[in-house]
Amino acid sequence: MRVELREITKRFGSFTANDSISLTVEPGQIHCLLGENGAGKSTLMNVVFGLLHPDHGEILLDGEPVRFANSGEAVRRGIGMVHQHFMLVPVFSVAENVVLGFEPTKSLNRLDHDKARREIRELSERYGLDVDPDAVVETLPVGIQQRVEILKALSHDARLLILDEPTAVLTPQEIDALMGIMRSLAAAGTSILFITHKLKEVRAVADVITVIRQGRVIDSVSPETSEPDLAALMVGRSVSLTVAKDAVEVGGSSLELRDVVVRDDRGLVAVDHVSLSVREGEIVALAGVQGNGQTELAEAIAGMRHVESGQIVLGGRDITNRSPREILDEGLGHVPEDRHRDGLVLSMSISDNLVLNTPRRAPFARRGTRQLSAVADNARDLVQRFDIRTTGIDASASSLSGGNQQKVIVARELSRPLVAFMASQPTRGLDVGSIEYVHRQIVAERNAGRGVLIISSELDEVLALGDRIAVMYAGRITGVVDSSTSREDIGLLMAGAGREH
Amino acid sequence: MSVALEASRVTTPHDRRTTTIGAIMIGLGLFIAVVFGLVVPSWAHSQLTFDPINTAVHAPWHLGALTVETRWTDTLLGLVAVALGVEVVLRHPRRAMSRFGATSILFLLALLLWASRTSGPATVNFVDLTAVLVGSSSLAMVLIYGSLSGVLCERAGVVNIAIEGQFIAGAFLGSMIESVTNNFWLATLAGALAGAFFGWILAFLALRYMSDQIIVGVVIVTLLAALSSYLNLQVLTPYPQFNLGNLAPNLAIPLLYKIPVLGPVLFNQTGFFYFAIVLIAVISFGLFRTRWGLRVRAVGEHPKAAESVGINVVATRYRNVIMGGAVAGIGGVSFMATQGQFQPGYTSGFGYIALAALIFGRWTPSGAVVASVLFGISSYLAGNLQGYSVPIPTEILGMFPYLITIAVVAGLIGRVRPPAADGVPYQRS
Repeated sequence: MRVELREITKRFGSFTANDSISLTVEPGQIHCLLGENGAGKSTLMNVVFGLLHPDHGEILLDGEPVRFANSGEAVRRGIGMVHQHFMLVPVFSVAENVVLGFEPTKSLNRLDHDKARREIRELSERYGLDVDPDAVVETLPVGIQQRVEILKALSHDARLLILDEPTAVLTPQEIDALMGIMRSLAAAGTSILFITHKLKEVRAVADVITVIRQGRVIDSVSPETSEPDLAALMVGRSVSLTVAKDAVEVGGSSLELRDVVVRDDRGLVAVDHVSLSVREGEIVALAGVQGNGQTELAEAIAGMRHVESGQIVLGGRDITNRSPREILDEGLGHVPEDRHRDGLVLSMSISDNLVLNTPRRAPFARRGTRQLSAVADNARDLVQRFDIRTTGIDASASSLSGGNQQKVIVARELSRPLVAFMASQPTRGLDVGSIEYVHRQIVAERNAGRGVLIISSELDEVLALGDRIAVMYAGRITGVVDSSTSREDIGLLMAGAGREH
Repeated sequence: MSVALEASRVTTPHDRRTTTIGAIMIGLGLFIAVVFGLVVPSWAHSQLTFDPINTAVHAPWHLGALTVETRWTDTLLGLVAVALGVEVVLRHPRRAMSRFGATSILFLLALLLWASRTSGPATVNFVDLTAVLVGSSSLAMVLIYGSLSGVLCERAGVVNIAIEGQFIAGAFLGSMIESVTNNFWLATLAGALAGAFFGWILAFLALRYMSDQIIVGVVIVTLLAALSSYLNLQVLTPYPQFNLGNLAPNLAIPLLYKIPVLGPVLFNQTGFFYFAIVLIAVISFGLFRTRWGLRVRAVGEHPKAAESVGINVVATRYRNVIMGGAVAGIGGVSFMATQGQFQPGYTSGFGYIALAALIFGRWTPSGAVVASVLFGISSYLAGNLQGYSVPIPTEILGMFPYLITIAVVAGLIGRVRPPAADGVPYQRS
C-alpha cells in the first residue's frame, strides 16, 4: 500500500506536536521515522492509526484521502500497528487478544473460539510467527508477547504495518529476529513504518530514513548515512556518541551484594541469590532485559524493598534492610528508575526537590525550622553547576523537561559526600544532549574514586559506561564480563544462555 | 495458568495463602467443636424440623423432625471443618476457596444447632429449617441483585460503590409506584429507572469529569439516604396510602414446589427471585461467552487496548454502569417486595454487603452468587437469632461478611485480582 501523509499538523493546547509533516511510504518499503523522545513520532503514528485526529492535513491510502473516526476504521482499511506499550489484555488468551474488536461469532453473539483459533494458526503459518492461540498472554515472555502484537496487527490483511519503538523490550537476538520478520514482510509487499531512536537499527533495516525533530521533518536520508550524521540530524548539533573514559586505579570494595534474595510484589523470588561487588573507581553496569529482577534489586539496595536473605554492604558497613533514610545517610547516592514516582515530588519547587534527602539537616534546617535562604542558595548553586534549564528555582519540578528533571535528581544525589552511586535507567526518555551530560557526570563520579552501579536495559549505555558488565536474567547474574565483550555474547547472557553463577 | 507458572518457581505464594486459609479453617473447626460442641451439656438436643411450623408455607408433606445431640453433632461438624482445613494445609488444592465456603456453611449450621439447643433435658425447641432457608433466600436474592450490579460496572472498569443508594432509590420509588398502581411490573420498571438514573449520575461524573469513583459513590449513597428520609417524613408518613408495603405474591412452580424443604425455597418464590436466577445466567453467559462480554472485559482490563481496536471505551462504560444501576434498582424493589413498607435506612448496608460478595466472589457472577447465598444466610441468622438463647450479641454475626471481606482484601485468603483498570479514569491519549 502506498501511504502518503500531507502536511499533518497536530496540536495539544499551545504545544505543536506535529508541524505540517509530509512523507510517503511506497509499497513494500521499510520507512524509518527517526527522532528523539518527544519529537512527535508517536503522535504522528497515532494520527495515522486513527487514535488521534489531525488538526490539519490529510492521509492518502493508495491515492485516496481517508479520515478515521477511530482505530477500528484504520484497521479495516489495512493499517496495523505494533504499539510501544503492548495493546494486549494480560488475562486474555492469545486468540482473544488477536480477534478483539473483530470477533468471529456464532448465533446469540457467541464468540466462535474454534474459528478464532483457526485464524491464528493460519496467520502463524503464513508469517512464520509461531504462537499457541490458547496461551494466556501474561504468562508469555515479552518477546512472544510482541509476536502476538505483530500477529494482531497483521490479522486484518494489513498492508501498512506501523512499529512504534518495537525493540525497547527485546534482547539483541530478538531484535535480529524482528528485523528478519520486517524484511520478509516488506518483500511480500507490506509497507512498514518503523519508529525508533536507535541509530544502529535504522541503518540495519531501513530503505528510507525520515528524521523528525520538534515536530518537523528535518530531512529524508538514505541508510548509508553514518551514525554521527544521523545523530546530528536528530539532535540538531553534533554530539559525541561515546563517553571519554580514562583508566582509573580501582580501590577497595564500595558496594557489595552477598547472596541477596528479594521478592517482587506478588511474592515471587525476583532476585535469586545475587552476589556482586562494585569497587571504588569502577563502573559496574548491570545489563538485562527489563523485568528480570533489576528493579527489585535496586529497590532492595536503596532500602525500598525487604531483603529476604543475604547481605548488602556499603563501604564496609552492613546496610541490609536499613531504612532508605539511613542508607542515604550512609552515603548511597540513588537515581531511581521511575523519576516521577520515586525521584521527585513533581508539585514541589526545584529548590525543595534539590534538598529532598537532606531537609532536616543543617544548613537547610536548624532547631526544627527550615532555613529557606540556605535552600535557595543551594538551588542556585546546583542549577548553575549542573546546567539545569529552568525559568527559576521556585518553578515546580513538573514544569521541567524530562532531561532537566533527571539533572535535578543527579545534582541532588551527587552534591553530597557519597560512598557509592547507583543509577537505574539513568537516561531513559532523555534526549541525546542530556544523555551525554548525565553520562559525563557518572564517569566523573567514578573518576573521583566512587563505586558506581548502573542498571540499564539499554545495551548501548551499558557498553558505553561499564568497566565491567554484569548481566541479569530471571533474577540471577548470568555472567560478569568486561566491557570489550561483543554485543552478541552479552545478548546471549541476556537471554539466559550464560553459565550458572 | 498463572498458578501453574508460579508452582514451577519457588512455589510459595499460593502455598502461603492456602496455608493461611487452612489454618483459619482449622481454627474455626476447633472453635465449633469446643464452643458449640464439647462444652454443651450432654442432655441438650437440637431439633430441626422439616415440616414448616409457619402455616403460611404450603407444605403437602410430612417428614417429621430430626433430633440430634447438640454436643456430639457440633463436635462432629467441627471435626469435619478441621479435616477440610488439614487437607488445605497439606495439599494446597487449587480450589481452596470453595472448601473455605463449605467450612463457613458448617459454621453457620453448627451455630444454628447450638443456638436452638434445648434448655433442659425434657424441653422442646424446634427449629424450622424451611423458614430459615426461605428467610435467607430472600436476603440472598437482594445481595445477588447488588453483586450482579457490581459485576456489570466493575468488569467495565467503574467501581459502583453506590449500590446501597440505588437500592434505596429502587425501594422508595418501587414502594410508591406499587402502592399507587397496585402493579409490581410498573414498580419494577420505576425502580430500574431510578437505579439507572443514579448509575448514569455516577457514570457521568466518573467518565465526563473523571471524578474519584469512590467519592461519587459515597456521595450518592449519602444523598439518597438523606433524601429518602426527608421524603419519607414529608410524603410517606402523612400519606400512608403511598407506602402500603404490599408484598409480592409467590408464584409456585407446578409440581416442583411440592419438593420437601427445597420446594418452598426455590420454587415457591416471588417473580423477583426467578428473575434474579435468569439474570445470573444471562450475565454469566454474556460476560464470558459473547462478543459483548469480551469487549466489556477488555475495557475493564486494558481500556487503551480496547480503544486501539476501535471499541468505544467511554460508551461501553456508560452502558454498563447504567445497566448495573438498573439491576441494583430492581434489587431495591425486590427488597421492598419481600420485606414490606419502605422505611428510611431499612436496606441497612445491604448494598455494601453486596459489594463484599462481589469481592469474595472475585468479580465473577457465579462467585458473587455463592458469596451472596453465604452472606444471605449469615445476615438472616444475625437478624433472627434473638429468638433463641444465644449469649453472644447477634451483631457479631452481622459482621461476618465484612470480616470475610477484610480477610480477602488483605490477601489473607485467596488472591483477589480485580479488573486491572477497575476504578481508573480513562482519558483518550
